[in-house]
Amino acid sequence: MEKQQTPQPESIVEIEAVTRVYRQGAHEVHALRGLNLQIARGEFTAICGPSGSGKTTLLNVIGALDRPSSGSVRLEGRELGNMSQRERSAMRRDRIGFVFQSYNLVPVLSACENTEMVLALQGVPRAERRAQVLRLLGEVGLGGMEQRRPDELSGGQQQRVAFARAIAAQPAVVLADEPTANLDSENAARLLDLMERLNRERGLTFLFATHDPRVMARARRIVRVEDGRVAQDELRPVA
Amino acid sequence: MEIWRTAWRNLWRNRRRTLVTLAAMALALCVMILYSGLLGGYLRDMERNITALEVGDLQVHAAGYLDDPSLHTRIAQPEALLARLRAGGYRATPRLLAWGMAAAQESSAGVSFRGVELASDSGVSSIHRRLQQGRWLDSADPQGIVIGRQLARILAVSPGAEIVALSQGADGALAAGLFRVRGVLQSIGDATDRAGVFMTAAAFRELFVLPGGAHQIVVRRPGTLALPAAAQAVRAAAAGLDVQTWRERMPTLASLLDSARGGMLVMFFIVYAAVAILVLNAMLMAVFERIRELGVLKALGVGPGGVLALMLAEASLLSLLAIAAGAALAAPFLHYLQVVGLNLASLAGVSFMGVAMNPVWRAHVNAAVFAEPILALLLIVAAAVCYPSLRAAFLDPVQAMRHS
Ligand SMILES: Nc1ncnc2c1ncn2[C@@H]1O[C@H](COP(=O)(O)OP(=O)(O)OP(=O)(O)O)[C@@H](O)[C@H]1O
Ligand SMILES: [Mg+2]
Repeated sequence: MEKQQTPQPESIVEIEAVTRVYRQGAHEVHALRGLNLQIARGEFTAICGPSGSGKTTLLNVIGALDRPSSGSVRLEGRELGNMSQRERSAMRRDRIGFVFQSYNLVPVLSACENTEMVLALQGVPRAERRAQVLRLLGEVGLGGMEQRRPDELSGGQQQRVAFARAIAAQPAVVLADEPTANLDSENAARLLDLMERLNRERGLTFLFATHDPRVMARARRIVRVEDGRVAQDELRPVA
Repeated sequence: MEIWRTAWRNLWRNRRRTLVTLAAMALALCVMILYSGLLGGYLRDMERNITALEVGDLQVHAAGYLDDPSLHTRIAQPEALLARLRAGGYRATPRLLAWGMAAAQESSAGVSFRGVELASDSGVSSIHRRLQQGRWLDSADPQGIVIGRQLARILAVSPGAEIVALSQGADGALAAGLFRVRGVLQSIGDATDRAGVFMTAAAFRELFVLPGGAHQIVVRRPGTLALPAAAQAVRAAAAGLDVQTWRERMPTLASLLDSARGGMLVMFFIVYAAVAILVLNAMLMAVFERIRELGVLKALGVGPGGVLALMLAEASLLSLLAIAAGAALAAPFLHYLQVVGLNLASLAGVSFMGVAMNPVWRAHVNAAVFAEPILALLLIVAAAVCYPSLRAAFLDPVQAMRHS
């Protein structure tokens, strides 16, 4: 066999035969039923599927928030399934950026403080992380709003703070669960523009769980999940 | 640290709840500080009344005297012992004791005669300053006596009245003498109030035909010396004699005073239990309201220790504020109680287990008066905060974020 010409892009996420069973009293809910998936560095991928199909569960498993009931989840080659709580916590802090549907900023902290939280956890010196965070907030279009608390920001602005928080510590992958669901089209477009730009310019890897056609329209790969399995995996030409 | 700033802001998210909790904590602390100060004052006064008025810190008797108090059982050479004690920094005075009868115009009563050496007694006991009427003994007036307040009432006498003292002298013959009341004491203690008749040592010796010796030596220790150490030293100096501390002389009272401190602890925990419930409620609410947010923190990689630290920082700030407010609130009241005190004149003459209570109840103020209630508050808050904080620290981020 001939060696492939183009080098195989490096896999950031490798999921093999992952199941996740929730026990609810007497009966069991099979959220994931033997799912396989590989995500390469630099992807801009949307996971779609009907409600209850397991999208959030999948992101939680990839994000070391949830443990699979069986199967293997590797992030940058490291198996998450058998990590201790502490290791998983460190993994989330250092390698994963989360963006949630409802922004989930800490209400008592300013935009700046929310954004630098993970850096503070990592022990980055104050002055250094301040500078970094101010630059980042400028980049997401929030220059001049650094000292505002979440309740002094619009939904779109809050989500951009949340995004800045997610990428501040240079994660391996950004996991965004319905990030645009609460945003009007202008703010959704603005956030997605931003994400696309960072994906292009910095090679940041994005994985969305979404129903939103606005997101799917921009995704370059769409993985359709149904009933806890991958039903369809489609690559789209770059527009 | 970021944690303190965040905790401080979190504390004021629910301003009203924080203020109510804070007010309850501060008020309870204030009450406990005042209570502790008053109790301290009471215990100090009781001990002072016991040691400074009647019993002294230590008492020396001839062996066997306490079991069978006889006129003949005396310390043979009190002067030598007194000199030795005084050389060691102790204050000491000899006393002569006997029982008999006192008769006035109207009535008579069984009494306890006490011969006092005036020069040294005033350095040991403050009884000479506790006169309700008239004046204390004077060596220039050998026939003058000072009697207990209750006895004056029984005999229906006041200063100036004549009294006949009757007993048996050391020579076995009838001892009788005519005396004049110089003074009537304030309430000192049950025994003295009802039966005490004080006279000069010289008058006593003449009445009872007793040339030498003493029945009792009352000793006050140097202020710097603890009671057990003083007892040990006096025992060494008074070989062959019976040396007892006031605690040994009044064991029930001593243990009662000791247990009063324990009673205060019980009181602390009763008052603070209510506070603990409020704090527990406030912290549980804080965790419950913020469950989603705490889940997010954990999702972002804050470990259980970080969440725990945040919750404990909040509780610490709350406690610090409560301590500052409670102590500030208590300070002026405590100052008033220390300087002016509570007037117990309406209870005049009331005694507790034979020891008179002072007419004014003043607080005693020292570091412990603040430290003990504060420490107890911190312990209670720590206990109340454990469960909510641990719950917050170990919550599952996925479940917490599903919570809406
Ligand atoms: N913690 C849990 N306990 C019990 N069942 C759960 C839990 N989390 C998810 N499930 C169940 O697992 C299944 C998959 O849920 P999941 O949230 O992953 O779906 P989803 O694809 O994200 O849906 P949606 O589009 O509505 O967000 C659902 O049936 C859900 O009810
Ligand atoms: Mg979902």
